[in-house]
Amino acid sequence: MSRRRAWGWVAALRAGSTTPWLAWPTDGTGEGDALAAELPGAQQLALLRRLNLHAAAAGRTVPTDIADRVLGAGVSGRGRSELALVGVDEPGQSREAGSSGQFGPRPVDPDALADDELLRVASALVADDVAVAAAVPDPEPSLVERVRSVRRPWVRSFVVVGMPWRADAVRADLTARGHRPGGRRPTAYLLAEDLETVLVQAWTSRCFDQGGATWRGFVRANAGAGNLPPRADVARMARSAAYKYGAERVRVVLDDRLMADELGVPRLGAPPRLGAHAVDLVRRVGEPLGLLVASEERPRLLRETLGERLDGRGGPPPTLPPRWDTWLRTQAERTRHDLAAARYPVLGDLDQLLPRPLGSEQSGPVVPVDAEVLSLALGLLLDPVTATARTQGKEDA
Amino acid sequence: MSRRVLLHVGTPKTGTSYLQDVLYKNRSRLLKQDVSYPADRFDAHFLAALDLMRLRWGGLEAEAVGAWDKLSAQVREHDGTSIISHEILASASRSQVARALASLGHRPGGDTSDGGTEVHLILSVRDLVRQIPAEWQENVKHRARFGYGRFLELIQDPERAHRVGAWFWGVQEIPDILDRWGADLPPERVHLVTVPPTGGSPELLWDRFSTAFGLAELDLKLTTQRANPSLGVPESALIRRINRVAARDLPPQHYRPLVRELLAHRTLSKRTKSARLGLPPDQYPWVRELTDSWIAELSRRGYDVVGDLQDLQGAPAPSGKWVDPDHPPERQVASAAVDAIKALLLDNAEAHAENERLRRKLEVARRELVRARTPRLMRSMEWTVHRLESSGKGRQALEVYRKARGRNSRPA
Repeated sequence: MSRRRAWGWVAALRAGSTTPWLAWPTDGTGEGDALAAELPGAQQLALLRRLNLHAAAAGRTVPTDIADRVLGAGVSGRGRSELALVGVDEPGQSREAGSSGQFGPRPVDPDALADDELLRVASALVADDVAVAAAVPDPEPSLVERVRSVRRPWVRSFVVVGMPWRADAVRADLTARGHRPGGRRPTAYLLAEDLETVLVQAWTSRCFDQGGATWRGFVRANAGAGNLPPRADVARMARSAAYKYGAERVRVVLDDRLMADELGVPRLGAPPRLGAHAVDLVRRVGEPLGLLVASEERPRLLRETLGERLDGRGGPPPTLPPRWDTWLRTQAERTRHDLAAARYPVLGDLDQLLPRPLGSEQSGPVVPVDAEVLSLALGLLLDPVTATARTQGKEDA
Repeated sequence: MSRRVLLHVGTPKTGTSYLQDVLYKNRSRLLKQDVSYPADRFDAHFLAALDLMRLRWGGLEAEAVGAWDKLSAQVREHDGTSIISHEILASASRSQVARALASLGHRPGGDTSDGGTEVHLILSVRDLVRQIPAEWQENVKHRARFGYGRFLELIQDPERAHRVGAWFWGVQEIPDILDRWGADLPPERVHLVTVPPTGGSPELLWDRFSTAFGLAELDLKLTTQRANPSLGVPESALIRRINRVAARDLPPQHYRPLVRELLAHRTLSKRTKSARLGLPPDQYPWVRELTDSWIAELSRRGYDVVGDLQDLQGAPAPSGKWVDPDHPPERQVASAAVDAIKALLLDNAEAHAENERLRRKLEVARRELVRARTPRLMRSMEWTVHRLESSGKGRQALEVYRKARGRNSRPA
C-alpha cells in the first residue's frame, strides 16, 4: 500500500527521521496509519526533512509541535500548490478519497524540489510567527528610558534625511539619547555613502516596506532604465531637503564622527547588518505577511522581529554584477557632481560617494542564494520569532 | 447558521464578471428573498480569495487582510442561502480548500445532520480551444511580456515548474480543480455549468447560471453589464509591446487604470474587426486528446451538469488563415497604436483640465484662508480705503491723510 508507506514516512519525519523518501523501505516495514485525511504535500514533507537535518547538525531534534506546524502549512504565493509524492496515488493505484490521481501536477520526489519551493512554505510559517508578534502591545518605556529621551533644550534643531534604512536607525538612536529630531529651522543632515551601499540599503528598505523585487530584479529594473531608484537618489533627496528646509541648512554626511561631534553624541546608531540572504528572506516573508497584518504595520514588525534576529547574519551584503559597473560609476559621478555644484556643506569627503575599488578578497558578485536563505529560514522555524523575543529585543536595545 | 452555501470557484473567462455584477447589484433584492450575497464592494469576494490563498496582487492584497474571515462570518450569520463567487478560487490548494470549507460550516463528507452547512460547489467551464488564447490575453493585460508561443510552451511543460503554467492549470484543469474542491462533497452537490459554443443564444449561459444557482425563480434586474471584453490579435500584440517597454516603469496603481482599463478595455476592445485570437492549428490534437480524457473522467464522477459536457470539445480548427499574435499584421498594430495614442491624449487633456480646475479652486481656497487669518481691523481698513478710492472726495480725503502721516502709501 503506497499510502501506508507514505504515512509511515510522515510518522518517521515527525519523530526526526532524515531518511529520503526514495530510500524509505518498500517491504512493508515502513508503513504506518494515516494521521490525517490527506497526506501533506511534498513541499511540506521535504521542508520537514530539511528541518530535521538542520536540527541534527546542531545536535537537536525538532519538537513535534513544530513538525506538525510544518506538515500542516500552506504554500504561499503563485506557483504549484501541494504536490503529491511520487509513487503514491499514481494512475492505476487506488486512492482513498475523491480524486483519480491522474490529474494535477505530476507527483514528485521531495528531495528533487528546488529550495525556492520549500521557501514558499517556510516563509509563510515565519510570517505567521511575525504576525503573532503584532498582537503584542509595545512595552511601556521605563522611567530611565523616558528620562533619557526627553528633549534637551540646548540640543540644536536638526532632522535626519537620506538613505532611509540607515536614517531610521540614526533617528531612533538619537531620540533615545534625548536628541529628538525636529525643532525650529532645523539643520537637515543628509546621510550618504558610496552608491553601491546606498543601493543595497534602498533594496533592504524596500524589502522591509513593500517586498517585491529580488536583488537582481531591483538592480535590473533601475539600471536597465538608466535611473536611480528614489530611495538611492542622494542628489534628489538633497534637493528635496533644500526645498523643505533651505539649501543653506542641508549638510551631506559622509563621515559619521563629524555629525556625532556636531550633535554632541559619542556615535551615531546603525541599522541591523543584514547580509544578502537575510534581506532576501525578509523580502519573502513580507509577501505572506502582507495578507496577515495592515501594510503600515509590516515594516515595523519586520524590523523588530527579523531585523533583530538576523542582525549580523545572512552573509555579506549583495553587490552589483560587473555588467552594471559603468552605470554605477556614471551615476555616482553624477551624484557627486550635483552635490558639489549645489555647494551643500559636506561632513567628510564627497569622493566617498564614488564606488569603492573591488576588494581582492571578493571573488565575484554577491547575490542571495536560495540554499542560504532556506538555511536561515530553517533556523527561524526551529527557534521561532516570538512576541517575547520582540519585546526582549527592544529591552536589550 | 446558514443552511446552504453556493460556492462558485471558477473558472476564469466563463462569464463570471457578468454573473458577479448581477449578484452584486441585486444583493438587496436577493436578501429580501433570503439569498445573501455578502459584499460591501464589487471585489469583496476577490479580496477574500486573495486572503484565503495568501496571494499578492499588485498591492491590492493590502486591502485583503482578514477578508476571508469576514466573508465566512457573514455567511455563517445568514440563515438561508449564501452565494460566494470568484474565479481565482479555482487555484486554491487542498489545505486552503479545507480551511475555506470548514470556515463556512461544512462538516466532513457534507454531513448536515448536526447543523452542518450544505455546501454546493459550482464550477463554470469552457473549452480549452477558447480558454488557452483567453488566458494568454489575460496575462498580457496583467503586464506579461512573453509571447503567445512562449505561453504555449510554458503550459505544455509537464512539470509546471513555471508560475505561468502552474497558474494556468491551477485554474483550468477541471478534474484537478474538482479533486481539490469537491473531494469531500457528495457528487450531487457539485454542479458543472458549461459555457455554450460560440454563436449560440446570448441568454443561454445566463439561463444555465440561473439554473445552477436557483436564480430563475427570483426577482432580479438583469440590465447591468460588466463584461471582461476581449482583444483581437493586433491589439493584444500592441499591449504586449507596451508592457515590454513601459510595464516596469508603471507601478500597478497606474498600470491598472491606464493600460488595462483605458487602453485594453475601453479603447482597443472596441476594435472588433481585427483578427481574433485563436489556438494555433498545430495545437488542436493535444487539446482534443486532453479534453476527451476530461470529459470521460467528469462523466464517470456523476456530477450535476448544467449544459452539456460535449461543450468542452470546442470548435474545430477554422479553415481560414490563423493570425499569429507574435507576428501580427503591422499595419493593424499601427492603426491600433494610433487609437491608443488618441485615447491617451484625450485622457491626458481631461486630466490637465481637471488639474487646472483644481488649481483654481485651490487658489480661491488659499485666498479665503489668508482672508480668514487677516485680523478684522485690517479688513475694515482695507474696506475703508477701497470705498474712499472709489470717489473723488474720498481720494482727496485719503491724500490729506497720507500727507498728514508724512508718507505716501499708494501703490506705485
